[in-house]
Amino acid sequence: MSAYTALTAAGYRAQVRDKTTVFFTFAFPLIFLVVFGLIFRGRDVEQSGFSYLSYTAAGVLSWGVANAAVFGTGFTLMQWRADDILRMIRMSPAPLASVIGSRYVLALGVGLVQSVLFVGVAMLPGFDLVPASRWPLLVPVMVLGITTFLLLGVIVGSIADTPESVAGIANFLMLPMAFLSGSFFPLDAMPDWLQKISLVMPLRYLNDAVSAALTGRGDLSDIGVGCAGLVAFAVVLGAVAARVFRWTKTS
Amino acid sequence: MSSTPPPTDHGDRPAVAVGDVTKRYGDRRAVDGVSLEVRRGEFFGLLGPNGAGKSTLVEIMEGLRKADSGSVTVFGESPWPRNTALLPRMGVQTQSSAFFVRQTVHEHLRTVAALFGADRGAVDATLDAVGLGGRHDVRVDSLSGGQRQRLAIASALVHGPELIFLDEPTASLDPEGRRDLWEVLRGLKAAGRTIVYTTHHLDEAEALCDRVGILVAGRLVVTDAPQHLIGTFGAASRLLVPLGRIDERKAASLPGVDGVTVQGGHLVLETRATGRVLAALDPLTGLDGVQTRTPSLEDVYLDITARQARAPLATDNQEQQA
Repeated sequence: MSAYTALTAAGYRAQVRDKTTVFFTFAFPLIFLVVFGLIFRGRDVEQSGFSYLSYTAAGVLSWGVANAAVFGTGFTLMQWRADDILRMIRMSPAPLASVIGSRYVLALGVGLVQSVLFVGVAMLPGFDLVPASRWPLLVPVMVLGITTFLLLGVIVGSIADTPESVAGIANFLMLPMAFLSGSFFPLDAMPDWLQKISLVMPLRYLNDAVSAALTGRGDLSDIGVGCAGLVAFAVVLGAVAARVFRWTKTS
Repeated sequence: MSSTPPPTDHGDRPAVAVGDVTKRYGDRRAVDGVSLEVRRGEFFGLLGPNGAGKSTLVEIMEGLRKADSGSVTVFGESPWPRNTALLPRMGVQTQSSAFFVRQTVHEHLRTVAALFGADRGAVDATLDAVGLGGRHDVRVDSLSGGQRQRLAIASALVHGPELIFLDEPTASLDPEGRRDLWEVLRGLKAAGRTIVYTTHHLDEAEALCDRVGILVAGRLVVTDAPQHLIGTFGAASRLLVPLGRIDERKAASLPGVDGVTVQGGHLVLETRATGRVLAALDPLTGLDGVQTRTPSLEDVYLDITARQARAPLATDNQEQQA
């Protein structure tokens, strides 16, 4: 068995055996969908002609996937360092590509299940989401989004040494970002300067791209700009992650 | 004072060679000019008080840390930076919570084995060797302290390394568990493996180690075989004579007696000439109930560490270079 296969299998078992985290990873975005669905029932966003729900669905899905990537990666990395798992990996000849690759594939798997489940529920009667014909573009968009937020998770997990501080830092980053990048409320409804602030947040680009791919809001260039923004953030976050990464607690 | 007996391995390179290694943390020298060779097949014990720099020195040998100055080779190669050609030949025990979460014992060790490219058969064999053969399907978080310790050791052994680093491997084991582990360690040594380990159990170091090194405040004060160390250090033996057999002054005047104290129902005679004192005692008191305590590694260790604490610089440099 290769290191990659073994680590992926162990990571998969760890994931599915943690029922609470499984529930919140997959149910949380759905709860938000229901809440926003009830609040904005039947209303349209001014000028755009799209329903609030279709707007919110894309935003909540982006946020849910990004959140899972940050928290999942941050917690695992912090725990691995605290438990000396990282040290053991460091002292094994396993190629780092297989270690990183296994975590990457697990994160992509979580994002895939989240997306399928979420879109499936959003298409049920009552929510009535109709995916746009270019929905397959969601796949590259989500891969880029998960990559970007996974790297943010590496930074959080490298800085934090306790589960509490992982949760604290990740929430501090992700919650304001969700509101300021238009995941929960349409950016159109916000003042100009707030819309400008959203441009320095990676979630804004994921929102725009997911929204364009899933609900057909905007055109292909919105997807292109969103992806370009995500790539740019991935490069910056990746560079920071490589700098702050620590193998052991003391070095 | 020490140490390196002539090489017996006919030109074979040592398993570990450390030359004048220094490591600073801020102003503090955690490791201060340490030179040391561990021969192949040797069981080497690194002793010293907490904070003496044992862990740092071991981590430098493992290649987990870079020395500020000095040279380190393992099987003739530098372990720093991460040397993936060397790593499969080394086994490093991590702390006893270094387990993949929510896995069973077997799943955990299987994953570790895969990291090292070891085959699955090795997993079962290693679990049997450390006495976890019947616990394959127990979750790692349900293991007792001693079982966790064994699994941590199994994680260092599963890929059959030639050189094994163990950090206080018997710390949380009960006496039976300790003896069981001693057998495992002796088996590894008999199989020709090289073992470097740290411990606070000096009786254990005396029983297991070919040589020990005593580290005090970052400096290697002495390296020697335990028995030789005890002999050359000239620590006194103690003869325990039940009280009332002989009075204190008379005992003190016996030939070969260096000192007399009263401890818990016994008159304790310190001597470096046990035979002579016993011969003198026999006609006076008889030898019934007289007990002999030979000096142990612990006596020598406490003596050395206390002396280092009293007289820090002047003497050790000589000892170290000797």
